[in-house]
Amino acid sequence: MAWNRKKDEETAVIFSIQHFCLQDGPGIRSLIFFKGCPLRCVWCQNPESWRMDPEPAFKAHLCMNCRTCIAACPGGVLLQPDRRKKDQCRRCFTCVHACPCGAQSRFGELHSTDSILKELRPEYPYFRDSGGGVTFSGGEATLSAAFAADIAERLKAEGVHLTLETCGQFSLDTETATDGDPLVQRLLMAMDLILYDIKLFDDETHQRYCGGSNQRIKANLAALARSGGQKSRPLVWPRLPIIPGITDTWDNLGSWADFLMDLGLKHITIVPYHRLGNAKRAWLGLAPGPEFTEPSPEALQAITRFLEQKGLNCYTPGEEEWRN
Amino acid sequence: MNSLYQKVSPAYSQAVAETECAADLRIPSARITRIKAALFAAPYSICLERPKLLARFQRSAAGRAARKEHPLVRRALALAFVLSQRTPRIYPDELIIGNMTSKRIAANYYPEGGSINILEDLFRLEKRTIPLKLTGKEKLDLALIGLTTCRDSMGARALLKPGRFGHFLDFFSAKRYFITEEAGIGHQVADYHGLVHRGLKWMDAWAANCLENCRLQNGKSLDEDQRAFYRAIRITIEGIRKMAANLARTAEKQAADPALADPRRQELLTAAAACRRVPYEPARTFLEGLQSCWLVHVALNQEDFEQGMSFGRLDQILWPLYCEDQAQGRLTPATAAEITASFQLKTCETMPIYSERIDQYFSGNGVAQGITVGGTDADGNDVTNALSGLILEAYAQIATREPALHVRVHPATPAWFLEKAVEVLQLGCGKPSFFGDTAVVPALENAGMTTTHARDYAVIGCVEMASQGRTYNSSDAALFNLPLCLELALNQGVCYGEKHFNNRLGAATPAVEQMRSFDDVAAAFRQQVEHAVAEMVKVIGWLEATYRIWRPTPINSMLTDGCLAQGRDVTWGGARYDLTSIQVTGLADTGDALYALRQLVFETRRYTLPELVRILKNDFRDHAVLQQELVHKFPKYGNGIPAVDAMTQLAADVFADAVRAHLNSRKGRYVPGIYSMTCHIGFGRRTGALPNGRRAGKRLSNGLSPADGADRQGPTAILRSAASLDSRKWANCHALNLKFDRRTVQGKSGARVLSSLLTSFFRQGGMQVQINVLDGAMLRAAKSDPKAYPGIVVRVAGYCAYFNDLQPAVQDEIIERTSHGMES
Repeated sequence: MAWNRKKDEETAVIFSIQHFCLQDGPGIRSLIFFKGCPLRCVWCQNPESWRMDPEPAFKAHLCMNCRTCIAACPGGVLLQPDRRKKDQCRRCFTCVHACPCGAQSRFGELHSTDSILKELRPEYPYFRDSGGGVTFSGGEATLSAAFAADIAERLKAEGVHLTLETCGQFSLDTETATDGDPLVQRLLMAMDLILYDIKLFDDETHQRYCGGSNQRIKANLAALARSGGQKSRPLVWPRLPIIPGITDTWDNLGSWADFLMDLGLKHITIVPYHRLGNAKRAWLGLAPGPEFTEPSPEALQAITRFLEQKGLNCYTPGEEEWRN
Repeated sequence: MNSLYQKVSPAYSQAVAETECAADLRIPSARITRIKAALFAAPYSICLERPKLLARFQRSAAGRAARKEHPLVRRALALAFVLSQRTPRIYPDELIIGNMTSKRIAANYYPEGGSINILEDLFRLEKRTIPLKLTGKEKLDLALIGLTTCRDSMGARALLKPGRFGHFLDFFSAKRYFITEEAGIGHQVADYHGLVHRGLKWMDAWAANCLENCRLQNGKSLDEDQRAFYRAIRITIEGIRKMAANLARTAEKQAADPALADPRRQELLTAAAACRRVPYEPARTFLEGLQSCWLVHVALNQEDFEQGMSFGRLDQILWPLYCEDQAQGRLTPATAAEITASFQLKTCETMPIYSERIDQYFSGNGVAQGITVGGTDADGNDVTNALSGLILEAYAQIATREPALHVRVHPATPAWFLEKAVEVLQLGCGKPSFFGDTAVVPALENAGMTTTHARDYAVIGCVEMASQGRTYNSSDAALFNLPLCLELALNQGVCYGEKHFNNRLGAATPAVEQMRSFDDVAAAFRQQVEHAVAEMVKVIGWLEATYRIWRPTPINSMLTDGCLAQGRDVTWGGARYDLTSIQVTGLADTGDALYALRQLVFETRRYTLPELVRILKNDFRDHAVLQQELVHKFPKYGNGIPAVDAMTQLAADVFADAVRAHLNSRKGRYVPGIYSMTCHIGFGRRTGALPNGRRAGKRLSNGLSPADGADRQGPTAILRSAASLDSRKWANCHALNLKFDRRTVQGKSGARVLSSLLTSFFRQGGMQVQINVLDGAMLRAAKSDPKAYPGIVVRVAGYCAYFNDLQPAVQDEIIERTSHGMES
């Protein structure tokens, strides 16, 4: 229960630190996955990132059915390895400690800046030689802005290239891009690159599929774009997931392209939908999400051509040429 | 031997390097495509010409007379007979000529070595995983040769003696170690530099001079053995010359055919002219240089056996000839690449001879004819040149199992060269492998080499080490099962399965009940390792004595610095650097097991040592929960965790110290290496459960790689763990495997990732790494048998993941995608 003691600036809930990532900014990168997200996109691949607090998960394929977890559970809320009385579970994670095979697992650990730096520092040589660095991902790192800003500034002081992956749903003074939440501001300004996710241009559709309005997302992007490109300001790089039947309509793509061109943004990465997230929903005991087909290479080519006709340079993840 | 590399003006090298980089030499010419197709169409077979010629010689008057000669001369006469009587064969299109065997692709049969093992498969040669095609008559011959020569093998001669028979049986159920030296020593990087630039003439003159004056070069008078040595040199050189002349005559005969097209006639005449000159005379052209190397390589294969016969630093050796040819305007880079590709394709004509039983220890059918490129001169300056790149590009034309390619990396390695090497890697043949001078050179110095000589290292076979042309390294003398020593340490020197304590295999270490601390366990482990190493050294000593009488190697000796000066064969201790190398298998498993044992018994005190040993003896049968916990929840080597990696270091040090404590019978040093061929499978079958959760019979970790499924943090963490270990004692290097799917590392961005991984690893002091780019077929195999293919990193939509961690549907998709990648 350590997680729900009063949070100070020193800690945040992180669900994974993954090394050797190649598609979230330049070079070889380590990703810090922050827990907690303000949106609920139906195609989300990281459902474990939604809630702010640590949560239990059950990976059935690892279970050897030894029932150690059931015997260990102090509240008796675990009925079967894969079935618990959700409302009574106190999230003590005794079952996770007891499980010998990693089937009972936990998404989210309380980390301090020191513990994160300790994990990242050995990777510095790989960052340096590949032109890589650290990417703040999630979830949404701006929800843990105090902690994220703290760690970003310490990494920056050590010369690490920093990238933020954001859904854009944060508080920022859209006029000057300098005020708003001062912690978010600090976080943003520490970055070298912001990978800014855009999804649906039409607000109503956005609310339907992503669980929130896109007003602030657009306004924040506009504000960042206006201030972007200047010295010591992060490079802003939009990314658009291609979800067949939802985000890949010509209407949606065209509106975004016009919007970006107006802002003077000339690059975009399109991220093809992938089914991987569905297994994770089962681990978390969530209902399966809707299945989409994966976009065909031909469809991706057509989208690329379309966006490039609009004047944007269009890339796939990991293939970008990073520049203003 | 002193001024190794002719100086070429830097401006000229630069200009050549630039033009080279511009042209794409990776696209095979029609000729290369045809030769490759012919090789792929040829069935594998066994060549019986050599044993038949040997038998014919023994029966002949000359052979009978030879029996009264000194063993060195006797051997030389037999070799010279074989070399001069072999039937020359020249295949269509090839530019470098000289047949390895009497068939297009075949294994030579070596009665002196372990070839007899193939008789185990005699009645199902065509049905083997790797089928062998022989006619009925040939099978009969094979059986006959096997039976009549069965007592001629080194193993039989050394070990079929009172008191040694048990060690002979070890070959059939290798448990603690596998003594590969029984089959042959091979594994040499001969002095190809001296050969190409001075010719055998120089060695011949040296021998003639000493014989004439009855004195060594230093003035001491010759004893009987030394006289025999120099005679043996002259006799074998004569044999090599006859072999070359026979080839030249055949080429000329073919060229005389009026039906032949003019360009081919010219090629044959050029090849014939080359064989009339080299290897006796120094080479004058690039083609003559390669032809010279090839002919001597064939001769070395006839002399000893096929494993690990390597060419050394061909980019350095041939560089002056290449420059001269270019300056004279008689060689374009494209032609040079074609000649080099033709040369490299010649290495595909040979293979080893393993029965399926032996194959579980040495699977892969390779013989590893190594070519080393890149690196530094004696002063540590970069000497990577255009030829270094061209050799890699020529390989890209053929992409075959042989030859083995090795790239030396040091702080001043040019970026273009690393990129070129990475492009070859992306072809997916697992080549080249990479070596870090920063770690290798000190390890070789530590084995007694001068800095100058250590910097002139070349790779023998897969990863083993030599200062080229100066080293006699029995570099693959034996492989060692380290985890078994832990099993023996925990059971008073007896294997878990044994019912009777008088079947003690190891040392009589104390019972676990008497072990009070982790240090006691470590001490018992150390004692077991020392005991097993001493046993092994004893057997190898018997073999060495047998080699000196029955299998001396004059060709190897004339091309190894020190032998001519001392008048001594390499098997008699003539080489300047004399080494015997023992390789360890299951290193990471041992380190992880020691760590888990200490945690369970001495830190958390969850089990007493006797309890834990009972569980291990019972192969975790009533403790499946503990076994799963050990597998999933205990930290392991390969994740960049210093406390665990320290245990792997401890295990490596125990082994290295035990090995380095010995001298071989030639007064050469024993040195350790860390690789396993596929012995980790064979040894694994005979090793009980380990405290890291590995169950009895499962395969062991290979080389310096983490145990199966133990790496959870990805490739950078593996590299960090490996680079953090102290490699200064590992003079025979190590093998570290990384695996990626094609898509993770394809294209320009993939190339950048790979070269930066390599740069960082070697900057951190890494010694060696080999990278496998996997194809769809292998991923399909991984899906149906995940345990056999752990640690494959694949690129999923937004990130890289372990293949085995993915859902079946996602795995299918990645397989499909990877296969597409191959077609495009």
